[in-house]
Amino acid sequence: MLNRSQTNSSPAIQYEISEPPTDAVSALKFAPDAPTRFLVSSWDKHVYLYELAGSGEEGGKLIEKYEHRAPVLDVCFGADDNEAFTAGMDWQVKRINLESGEQTIMSAHAAPVKSVVYSKEHSLLISASWDSTLHFHDLKHPEKEPATIKLPAKPHSLSITASKLVVAMASRLVYIYELQSTLMLASQANGATTELQPWQQRESSLKFMTRAVACMPNDDGYASSSIEGRVAVEWFDPSPESQARKYAFKCHRQPDPSGDGTDIVYPVNALAFHPVHGTFASGGGDGVVALWDANAKRRIRQYQKYPTSVAALCFSNDGKYLAVGVCPGFENDQEDYSGEGVTKIYIRELGETEAKGKGPK
Amino acid sequence: MVGKKKRGHPDVEELLSRPWCYYCERDFDDLKILISHQKAKHFKCERCGRRLNTAGGLSVHMNQVHKETLTMVDNSLPNRQGLEVEIFGMEGIPEDVSQAHNQRIIAGFYQAEAERRATTGNPGPGGNQGNQSKKLKFESPTDLKKRLAEHKARKEAEKAGTSSGGNTPMVEGVQNSPLGQSPSSFNNASPYIAPQATHGASQGAGYGSFSQEPYSQPAAAYQQPYASQPPFSGPPGAQFQPQYSPPQQYPPSQSFPPPGFQPPGQNYPGGPPSFGAGSPPPGSFNGYHGPPSNTPPAHGGLPNRPPSLPPAPGLPQRPSLGAPQVPPYQMQQLHQGPPGTSFPGQQGSWAGNSWKGQDQKPAMSSTYPHSQGYGDYSTNASSVDDLVSGAAREADDIDEIIRMAEAGIKPPKKGEVAASPVQAIEAEAKAEVTSTFVPEFAEIGDKSEPTQKKSKKDKPQKMIYSDNEMSPEEKMALMPRYAFVPDGKTETSLVDAATIPGVAGTVDA
Repeated sequence: MLNRSQTNSSPAIQYEISEPPTDAVSALKFAPDAPTRFLVSSWDKHVYLYELAGSGEEGGKLIEKYEHRAPVLDVCFGADDNEAFTAGMDWQVKRINLESGEQTIMSAHAAPVKSVVYSKEHSLLISASWDSTLHFHDLKHPEKEPATIKLPAKPHSLSITASKLVVAMASRLVYIYELQSTLMLASQANGATTELQPWQQRESSLKFMTRAVACMPNDDGYASSSIEGRVAVEWFDPSPESQARKYAFKCHRQPDPSGDGTDIVYPVNALAFHPVHGTFASGGGDGVVALWDANAKRRIRQYQKYPTSVAALCFSNDGKYLAVGVCPGFENDQEDYSGEGVTKIYIRELGETEAKGKGPK
Repeated sequence: MVGKKKRGHPDVEELLSRPWCYYCERDFDDLKILISHQKAKHFKCERCGRRLNTAGGLSVHMNQVHKETLTMVDNSLPNRQGLEVEIFGMEGIPEDVSQAHNQRIIAGFYQAEAERRATTGNPGPGGNQGNQSKKLKFESPTDLKKRLAEHKARKEAEKAGTSSGGNTPMVEGVQNSPLGQSPSSFNNASPYIAPQATHGASQGAGYGSFSQEPYSQPAAAYQQPYASQPPFSGPPGAQFQPQYSPPQQYPPSQSFPPPGFQPPGQNYPGGPPSFGAGSPPPGSFNGYHGPPSNTPPAHGGLPNRPPSLPPAPGLPQRPSLGAPQVPPYQMQQLHQGPPGTSFPGQQGSWAGNSWKGQDQKPAMSSTYPHSQGYGDYSTNASSVDDLVSGAAREADDIDEIIRMAEAGIKPPKKGEVAASPVQAIEAEAKAEVTSTFVPEFAEIGDKSEPTQKKSKKDKPQKMIYSDNEMSPEEKMALMPRYAFVPDGKTETSLVDAATIPGVAGTVDA
C-alpha cells in the first residue's frame, strides 16, 4: 500500500501491466484507500489483484489471483482494501478476503450475476443478476438474508453514489433507487422478495441498449452509454431545470475506411468518473479512451487507440491513475470469442491537470 | 517615366485586396488570420469559450447548448452588431458595406500618400506633375522660335491697336491668390483646361497645379516668354518665373501682351515685394514644388481622379441595414439546412432520400426545438458541443416514422402508430410492455430480422454491435467456453436462464 506523495506533476506516462488476465476483462476497480491497488475480474474465471509500482515508476505486479468456478462478470472492493466482492457467471456473489484468499458466498441468484457494487456509506452490498433481480445485503447485519427486488428487465450495469443506486437495464430502462430506502428494505425484508418502487423510473436518453452507467462523484447525476457510440449525461434532480440540462453526444465512431460515407459505430463499453475533477472517461469498442467534461460539455482529450476494444475503465481513488482494460470486443454475428493472449491492462499515470475540465472560459 | 512602386508603401490594389473583418473593419494579412480573428473576437461563446464559425452558428450554439439567445455580435462596431448578416471571413459582406470599406481604404491611401509626400517632399509616384515636368520641360528650338515669332507678331498688332498696359499688374495680384490656393478654383478654370496642358508643359516641374488654373489664356505665345526666357524674370532667378506666371490670370479677353510682358519695369522692380500680395513669398518656393503645402493634402493626390475618388470621408458609411433584410431564422435556414419545422413536411420523402445519420438526426431533432445546428454537428466532431444531441427523452414521432420508413413501411399518421404491423409483432412479443414503450419497440422491430438488411443498406452507419436485445456478455455467456453449469442443473436450464432474461422482465411486470 504505497501512498507516495507526489511532489511534482509528473508527466503523463502509460505502461502495460505484466501478467494480465488470460481472457477478456469484465471489470476493473481501484481500491478505496490505496491508489495503487486494483482488482481485475476476467472471463478466465479469475480475479486479479495488482499493485502498481507507484508514482513516476512504471510497472505493476500481480499480487494474487483468485479462482472462481465460472467467468467473473464484475468485481468491487468492500469496506477496505482487503475485501472484495465478485459477481459470477456461476450465479453467485462472493466475498473474497484478499489477504487470505478466503471466499464466502454472499448470495445466489437464479442466473449469472452481472454486476456488484458496495456502498461504504451504508455498508450495503448490491448485486444485479440476469434473473432480473437486485440483491441487497446489509453487511452491518451479515446474518440476515439478502433482500431481493424484482426488476422489470435484465440489468446491464450498476453504479452508485453516496446516496443513490442507478440500475441500467434492458429495454432502455433506468431505475434510480435511494440507498437509504433500500437499506431499510434490506434490514427489514430478511430474505424476502419485495417490490420496491424506485425513487425514479426513467427511460434511457439513448435509443439503443445501455452498455454502461456511471455516477458523478458529486452525487448530482450520471452518465450512460449505449452500444451505438453515444453517451448521455443526466441529472438526478427531477426539476424541469435540471432535466433540461441533460444531453447526449456521439462518440467512438469512425468513418468507414472503405470511404463510402458510413460511420462505423462502436459500443461504448466503459464509463468512469474522475473522483477529483468530476470529469469522466469513456472507453469504446474502437479502442479509444476519451476524457469528457460533463459540465462544460467538452471533450478534454482523447488518448491514442489501444490495440483492441476497451472493456473496462477505472480511476484510482486519488485520481492519479487511470486503468484501462483492453480486450477484443464482441462483435455482431461473432461465432466464437476469445480474449486469450490479447487481453491487456494499461495504466495511465495522469498529469496534475490531465483530467481536469477546462471550465467555461 | 512612370513612378516606381515605393517600397514599404503598399499600393492601393494591395490595400484593397487585404481581407478585412466586417464586424470591426480591421484588416489582415491573410484570410486565415481574419477567420481566426472572427472566431476569437466575434464568434466565441462567452459561456464555454467555444469558437464558432459564424454568428449564426454561435447563435444556434448558445441556443442549444446554453439555452440563451444571442442578440448581438461581440466586439463589433455599433452598426455591425446584427445577426442578420451571415459573415464568414470575407464572405457575406453586403455590397454596399464592401464598397464603403473600399472607399475608405482608397481615401485613406491617398491621404497617407499625400502626407508622405508632404513630409518627404517627394513627388508622388505616377503623379501628373512629375510626368509633365519630365516630358515637356524643353521645347524644341524651332517651336520656341515659332512661338516667339507669333508673339512678336501679336505684339506688333497690339501696338498698332490699343495699349492697356497699366492695369494688368493690379488685377494680377488680386486674382492670383484665390486661384492658386483654393481647390474650388479648379472648376472655375476648367474651360481652359485644354490650353493649360500645354502651358503646364512649359513650366517647371513643381508648378503643375499652380500653373494650370491661372493661365486662362488661350494664347500660348503669351505664356511662353516668361516661361522660356529666364532673362526676363531677372533677379529672382528662374524660380521667379513660374511664380510670376500665376499672376497672369487675366481673363483671356484682356489685352495681355503689353501689360504682362512689356512693362517689366513695373512688375519686376516691384517684383518680389509685390508678389507677396498675390502669391507666396519667395521663401515658400519650395512649397510650390511640393504642392501639398499649399493645398489641402487630399487635393494634392486627388485632383487627377475626381470622378473615381469622392472626397475623403472621415469614415465610411456603415449602413446597419445594408444587408438584405433576411430574418435570422431564414438566414439560418439558408446556411444550415432546413429548420425543424420543415421536418413534418418532408417525412414522406425521407425513406428514399439520401438520408444520412438517420439515427442521429432524429435523436437530435427530438429534443431540440430547431435542427439548424446540424451543420455544426457534422463539421466538428471534436467536442461534446458538436455532438450534443440533447437527451432523447422520448422516442418521438418523427424518429419513429423515419425508422418505419427505413423499414419500408409507409409512415402512418401519428395516431395510427400503434397499429402498424411491425409494432403489432413487437407488441405481441412484448405483451406486457406498456404503451409508452411501443414506439421504442417499433425501433427495435426495425432491427429485427426481416427488415434488418434493408435498413442496413440505407444506413449511413454500421454498428459493430447492434443487437439491441442481448448484451455481448449474455452472448458470450452462451458460449461453451464460458458456460457454467451450476450444480444440480442441466445445461438446458442454463441456456434458458441466459436467454430468457430478455423476456423475464415481462413476467412480473
